[in-house]
Amino acid sequence: MKAPFSSYLDHILPPLKSIIDYLSSYYEYVSLLSTDSVGFTIGISKKKKTLQNENLTTERGTVIRVLKDGLYSEYAFNQINPEEPELTAKNAHLALEQQFQMLKHIRVPVFQTAACKDEPLDLLIEKETERLPENEDLGSLVSFLSDLSVKGQQTITNAIDCNVRAVSTHISKLFLSKERCLRQSYVYTEGSIAAFAPNQDGEIKTAYEGVSGLGGPEILAALQETITKMPKIMDDLLKAERVSPGEYEIITDPGISGLIAHEAFGHGVEMDMFVKERALGAQYLNKRVGSDLVTMHEGALCADSVASYAFDDEGTLAGDVTEIDHGILKTGICDLISALRLGIQPTGNGKRENYSHKVYTRMTNTLFECGNNTLEEMISSIKHGYLLSGTESGMEDPKHWGIQCIISRGYEIRNGEMTGKVVSPVIMTGYVPDLLGNITMAGSELRIDGNGACGKGYKEWVKVADGGPYLKTKARLG
Amino acid sequence: MLTRIIDQIHALGCEIFEITEETINTWEFYLIRHSLDQNRVVETKQFHIKLYRRLNRGADIGIASGIISPTLNDTELNAELSKIYLQAGLTCNPSFSLNHSSLPPIPSLDVDIEAISSPLLKSILEIPETETERINSCELFVSKVQKMYVNSNGVTYRMTYPCSMLEVVINSRENGKEIELYRNYTFGTCVPMLFVNRIKSAFQLGKDRLHAMPTPRLTKSDIILSGESAVSLYEFYVSKMNAEMQYRSLSDWTVGKEIVPDPTGDLISIYAVSHLENSSHDYPVDADGAWIQDRYLIRDNIAMSTWGSKQMSDYIGSSNSSSVYNIIVSGGKVPAEGLHSDEYLELFDFSDLQIDPVGGDILGEIRLGYWHHGGRIIPVSGGSISGNMQDVLASIRFSIETVQYDNYVIPKETLLRNLSITGVE
Repeated sequence: MKAPFSSYLDHILPPLKSIIDYLSSYYEYVSLLSTDSVGFTIGISKKKKTLQNENLTTERGTVIRVLKDGLYSEYAFNQINPEEPELTAKNAHLALEQQFQMLKHIRVPVFQTAACKDEPLDLLIEKETERLPENEDLGSLVSFLSDLSVKGQQTITNAIDCNVRAVSTHISKLFLSKERCLRQSYVYTEGSIAAFAPNQDGEIKTAYEGVSGLGGPEILAALQETITKMPKIMDDLLKAERVSPGEYEIITDPGISGLIAHEAFGHGVEMDMFVKERALGAQYLNKRVGSDLVTMHEGALCADSVASYAFDDEGTLAGDVTEIDHGILKTGICDLISALRLGIQPTGNGKRENYSHKVYTRMTNTLFECGNNTLEEMISSIKHGYLLSGTESGMEDPKHWGIQCIISRGYEIRNGEMTGKVVSPVIMTGYVPDLLGNITMAGSELRIDGNGACGKGYKEWVKVADGGPYLKTKARLG
Repeated sequence: MLTRIIDQIHALGCEIFEITEETINTWEFYLIRHSLDQNRVVETKQFHIKLYRRLNRGADIGIASGIISPTLNDTELNAELSKIYLQAGLTCNPSFSLNHSSLPPIPSLDVDIEAISSPLLKSILEIPETETERINSCELFVSKVQKMYVNSNGVTYRMTYPCSMLEVVINSRENGKEIELYRNYTFGTCVPMLFVNRIKSAFQLGKDRLHAMPTPRLTKSDIILSGESAVSLYEFYVSKMNAEMQYRSLSDWTVGKEIVPDPTGDLISIYAVSHLENSSHDYPVDADGAWIQDRYLIRDNIAMSTWGSKQMSDYIGSSNSSSVYNIIVSGGKVPAEGLHSDEYLELFDFSDLQIDPVGGDILGEIRLGYWHHGGRIIPVSGGSISGNMQDVLASIRFSIETVQYDNYVIPKETLLRNLSITGVE
């Protein structure tokens, strides 16, 4: 079935058009994004059960963007009387004027930006889904998740608890300008299992796995397979030792390959950072940043995942950009305002945490292309190294191209064979071009992960997905 | 609208509920160098609803929650509340009761967003820069937050408070090389000079990062943590006294007992307060309508008091508890110099220092540190630290001097022994 576009947004479309008409007499450019996204979060554990009709991406509100004298400004709100849209328009105008007066008094110069083109386009995209979160039989779902939690508690060694979490959101977004009316509706869902157990030293270990995808709660059925993997993951963690710090040959599983694509590289070519001269990547356009095996794509059209959409939060159609082509950096990704400043085309990567937040250049699907090697070939080629698995977190450093990835487990390889030794946790640090330049083998199967969220620094959380095949490279582990 | 919501909740037959009406007004300013990139105004209102349902003849309670948009008409509101109330029957938890103690009136702060924004913005723009140190960009968010809480036991409060954020990126450059330092400050009431001074200090740190050598391969080292990253360390202690962590057996720190057996270092005290000047959480009530009592969570290495939601506090038998937001750490016996030895690594900045509240793992990439070695102080960068809190708690030491980072007052310097260092050199 198609995920139906929000009837609420259809209802307020005419008054929103009136707002644009009213404000157009004061500003050179006026557009707005209006959102109505509904969903749930369910958390089930041995001792606590929660059900919330909210999550990171549920929202209802509107943000107006205007341009005057080279300055883009925004007014975000969530109260509108459809019978009196002019009142909302007046409030927006007055609020911004009050701010302008203060800025004029302080004499803050403006970073002048050209007006964006407002090209005519009407669009309605309703993506496919089997089920909608708002119509879901939550009683059955809670039972299903509870059974998984109990199964985890029973099958995982020493389990203190087994947390099962489900999130599903039906997103509807409307972008309006004088010439454009874009509507989209889609559903994404993710589920995760986190289990806790103490090792022999009393340290509590956390085993975590997740599923995600573009679609409704039907995606959560995959957790039935996930729960069967948890006992082995926990057993590995319970016997794990600390890694001896140093440089190693590594094989990254697709989840870690995706983490590298996202943290190590993806953030480094978000082109709003080029405008601010905060990205080393700007100096490497059309230069080598990785081995010949490295080809990387980024865009909401690259895959069907939690981060896929038809247009971004600035009304730019979604894209599919080849960022790295056989090791050569070709381009980054760019929101609309940054593109105006850099004199390039936007790539459909302008995203907001929600309607009340500013747009930044943000990632969507960030993927390494596949190669031809098998995992067995990769393992056989390693004298002493680790197969890394289990994404925990990462942090970007676009200015210096540093890398911090925290990984759950490393499985030791010696002389081409797995030894059975596990190390945990593992922090991978280094310099991005070195990491990518040392990629010498790439697997043939792609996997995309979309659990969790991505921040810009320590704020502005958005959904992203990343992935790739197994990769062999070298890195510093500690 | 609040009255409409309460009326409809009653009409559903729901006897137990909590509603928080939250109105947020924010002014946002984005600067690239000293020029205005964008300005924004945000005006939002939301109603956070929790509905409860007695289950199994009162032995258990079901809970469901949601956010009500102010745009809902009566029919839509009824549908939404009915849905949430129905859902409350699906999540069976042991019974507990909502807070029932009436609250004294909370003095409302007069928050003038323009009056906060203007001098702060002006001060930032006027910070003296040099040819080698400058502000790359910054973001300033100034908010007025108004909350009104009501529960089915008649507990109600209103409060207004300021909550703001300043994000600053600083560049230091020399001979064609340029680095950046990232700073993020959250605060309540604002003293512009406080941030001006912090940014000026960051300029000096930027110079040091520019000249930093690769972190040496030390394998193991005593570490002095200075800088805001150290807050993560003390958040670990606070999380271990959280009621939910204890209820779920993820913490075994028991009230009345030592948190660390046989300590060889300093005995830590963690004091939670409702009022902390300039904190972004400077208010006297928590999200469940409980008055926040100033109290020790830990005193001289002895667990004194837990904190957390009413639900979890009831479950562990601490019914009179509350959440806590402002933390003061103490226990150091010597000034910072007294923690120093001939050889140690002082770490100031990390990419993202992670300390796992459940397992205690410590991990972080070093962005700026100082290697005190052979009588010299050498700025270093790169590599990482790793370890576990279980291995450092007994011997931890901290300075008498303290410094405030938003809602945490922590020792200016903290000594951790024998952490693993993955160097670059």
